[in-house]
Amino acid sequence: MICPFCSLLCDADDLDTIPCDRRSSSLVQFASRRMVTPTHLEARQSEVKLALQRAKCVLVTGRIASVDTARAAVAFAAKHSATLDCAESGHVFKNVLAIQRSGLNSVSIAEARDHSDLFIVIGDDAMLRAAPRMPFALSNDLPNQRTVLLLGEFGQESIRGWKHAGFDTWAVQCELKNVPTALSQWSRWSDQVWREQTTSVDSTGGLIASPLLERMACAQYTTLLWCAENLAMAEADLWVERLLIWIASRNEKLRCAALPWTSTDGTFQQVCTWLTGFPGRIYFRDGIPEYDPLRNSYEHWIERISESGTPESVVVLIDETIASMTYLRPLEWQWLEKSLVIELTGDSASFPTWMAGFETTADMFRADQTLLAHVEPTRNQPKNGKPASFWLEELSS
Amino acid sequence: MITRLKGAMCIDGVGESKVRDIVMDGETICSDSLEHKRLYAEYHLPNHLVVAGGIDLHTHIGGGKVNIARLLLPELVQHRRNPDAENERFISALSSPVPGTLETGRRYLEMGYTACFEPAVLPANARQAHAEMADTPWLDTGGYLLLGNDRLLLEWIRDGVPQHQINDYVGWMVRAHQCCAVKVVNAGGIDAFKFNQRHMDVDDRHIHFGITPRRILKSLSTAVESLGLAHPLHVHCSNLGMAGNIDSTTATIDAAEGRRLHLTHAQYHCYGIDGPHGYSSRAEQLADRVNAHENLTIDVGQVQFGQTVTLSGDTMHQFANRNLARPRKGIFQDLECQAGCGVLPFRYRQDQYVHGLLWTIGIELFLRIKDPLRVFLTTDHPNGAPFTSYPHLIRLLMDYDFRMSIFSRLHPDVQNSSSLPSLTREYSLEEIIKMTRLGPARALGLVNRGSLQNGCIADLVVYEKSSNPEQMFSKPCMVFRRGELVYRDGVLLGASNKSTVVAKLEVNLQMDSLLKQLWRNRYGYSAEMVTVRDEELVSSNRCIEWTQGKT
Repeated sequence: MICPFCSLLCDADDLDTIPCDRRSSSLVQFASRRMVTPTHLEARQSEVKLALQRAKCVLVTGRIASVDTARAAVAFAAKHSATLDCAESGHVFKNVLAIQRSGLNSVSIAEARDHSDLFIVIGDDAMLRAAPRMPFALSNDLPNQRTVLLLGEFGQESIRGWKHAGFDTWAVQCELKNVPTALSQWSRWSDQVWREQTTSVDSTGGLIASPLLERMACAQYTTLLWCAENLAMAEADLWVERLLIWIASRNEKLRCAALPWTSTDGTFQQVCTWLTGFPGRIYFRDGIPEYDPLRNSYEHWIERISESGTPESVVVLIDETIASMTYLRPLEWQWLEKSLVIELTGDSASFPTWMAGFETTADMFRADQTLLAHVEPTRNQPKNGKPASFWLEELSS
Repeated sequence: MITRLKGAMCIDGVGESKVRDIVMDGETICSDSLEHKRLYAEYHLPNHLVVAGGIDLHTHIGGGKVNIARLLLPELVQHRRNPDAENERFISALSSPVPGTLETGRRYLEMGYTACFEPAVLPANARQAHAEMADTPWLDTGGYLLLGNDRLLLEWIRDGVPQHQINDYVGWMVRAHQCCAVKVVNAGGIDAFKFNQRHMDVDDRHIHFGITPRRILKSLSTAVESLGLAHPLHVHCSNLGMAGNIDSTTATIDAAEGRRLHLTHAQYHCYGIDGPHGYSSRAEQLADRVNAHENLTIDVGQVQFGQTVTLSGDTMHQFANRNLARPRKGIFQDLECQAGCGVLPFRYRQDQYVHGLLWTIGIELFLRIKDPLRVFLTTDHPNGAPFTSYPHLIRLLMDYDFRMSIFSRLHPDVQNSSSLPSLTREYSLEEIIKMTRLGPARALGLVNRGSLQNGCIADLVVYEKSSNPEQMFSKPCMVFRRGELVYRDGVLLGASNKSTVVAKLEVNLQMDSLLKQLWRNRYGYSAEMVTVRDEELVSSNRCIEWTQGKT
């Protein structure tokens, strides 16, 4: 059994009894989900197909969690000369843009779990809420206790979580925007401080205990962990780039790697990349994908179409996850009401779909995008639902 | 349903090359005696060649590293590139050195290739590799499982477990990840790099496990032989690209103790330390070894000039070359206690000494190895060049004057030191066909592929005869997949069924339960999460093609 609710794709032996807030709340949401019996789907199909034929601008967006739906979305977008971008790709692209400029030294979960001796976790408590089992995924039963430095705006909740998983846990309060600078300073100081066995001060004026600096200096394999969703600062891709450069410099003498956490959107990103050569944010012109990470973002598309007032526009909204669609701002919704929105979602009465990995079998990537897991359904399929890929193919036929 | 190709010159390297008819009955080639069946189509093809579909036994078309290269290098994508630009013509045939799967499948078919093999399937990535290959249309595919840096195996070798346990492990891994062969990359070296070891020779000890690449190579080559896998251990030797690495390459051959071995992208592994720049060719030395030992096969990994991207599981050496990247960036990954990945963009330049030398070394290997059934035409796509450079490479091998016209543009020190001008051999059409069809089929144990014999799969390619082999092999007139015409005169006529080549191995059930338990402890997740079931490779237009046994 594999749980599809967070990007870890946790496969603990007994998922129903492990303490996981994310899973519990998802199950509650699922139970209360409005199970709509669709009516007049045939009529809607004709209406939608006609609108697609007439459309001058098409956007395919949403939250795509499975390989099959990603494949279908790419094919659909190519056929309808659409712009294709996941609705939450802004997070993914903080990492993507930085990597495309500077490259990457990275590590997968199992590798880091096996022999990384220092984890520097950057962010805030939201990380653990999004993936509550993360510390356990990275802990092992080896006798040497490993060190975690929580760097950013972490509270007791996170400290307890990492300690509970067996890590020697340190927390240093630091504004996220200052983290790259602080790391550079610490790596310069640590050698010296270690030799002098003194206590030092970080860039924000906080005390840093010398044992921590000692561990940083001694670390043979450092893993930096961050979750792009938690990076709310402006130009986060530049922030990520500075981290990547710091990591690259550490590798000149020691080993150091990034473990950039992504949501389940990572599945779409990977599939879109192998099919088209690009990780999303593409526009199909005459069947050929054109990549523009700024212009082809769904936000930019909506702004553009909204300003130009193009009436014959269609938004195909796919959602294979269980959380409510809070990611589209009210302003966007207001505009979307003027356009035709084809909803392929679990909540919609339009074309209801099964939830990937929960109600239907799905291939999904883990958070580090290394493992493509085959996830069997853990709940029965609703009577009237179909996979999102089915509807995409139907509407294209 | 019968399809007949009439009056073409038929070449397959098995029978005599001659003008004759080829008859296809459904998906297979058959004898000409089935006149009672209804003739579906007949094509009159005087002045044409008919050959079997091409087989590329080493091309990176699936799995994590290819996608990482795509992600890293969007700036190399140019759909409307100037095809006449110097050094860009191989890429101009593609939108990028690492195009998407749809384009990859289409371009291979348009050259007359019908089966391609991904040579580095990381166990943890196996499902992704198969998914990508499933999305590569028109090609039958297969994968070689990457072992020899997986920590479970390294621990067992360190602990001296019996060889039969290693054999069972290798068999279980190949079967569980639906592969058809085993590849080892820089045996032990990828893992050693994770422990910050930056160099590892064949007899150097792994800094953490204390074992040598020689022991790993011996264990794996023994396992591959014991399991009866058709393809020998597929070896990426130690010291990739380093001056003087001919010593570790010959030591690698010795480590197999006479067992069958396939040395991959051999061009990158036969360098000396002589010459004006401390970097020289040892192609003759390697070719002599291959000529003398029937158990050895190689693919060349020919370099062509222009922009490409190198991608390899050999993180240790890709990292060492990081400052050579153009554009100046790269991706290095440590993966799942099983292997690694290094991606570096690279531009091979005619006027650069080492690049020119690599070009001559590859050609030397082709020309010095006598048996075209034991040397295979590859560029290690995309490492040496994109696969679309194959027709150009064929012309280089078939045309001495053309070869020398390129040679004359190389760095003067290359021209002064290379023995290439003395190698006047020109490949015949039969030899090219053997090297690109029959040889790879035999090396992989694909008994019903690579030739025009009765009973073979009817993957056939029709070329119009031309005095310019580059022109001819760039653009077939027709391609048949399983007896169905799918490409004609530049037009794709439809999709075709696909198969995944998998070695049919019996799994030791005791190993099954042992490994499932160890897997969770070692990797932190259950084996079921990543192993690939037969059903996943089967769909309405996709099936499994089993292979087994020594040939």
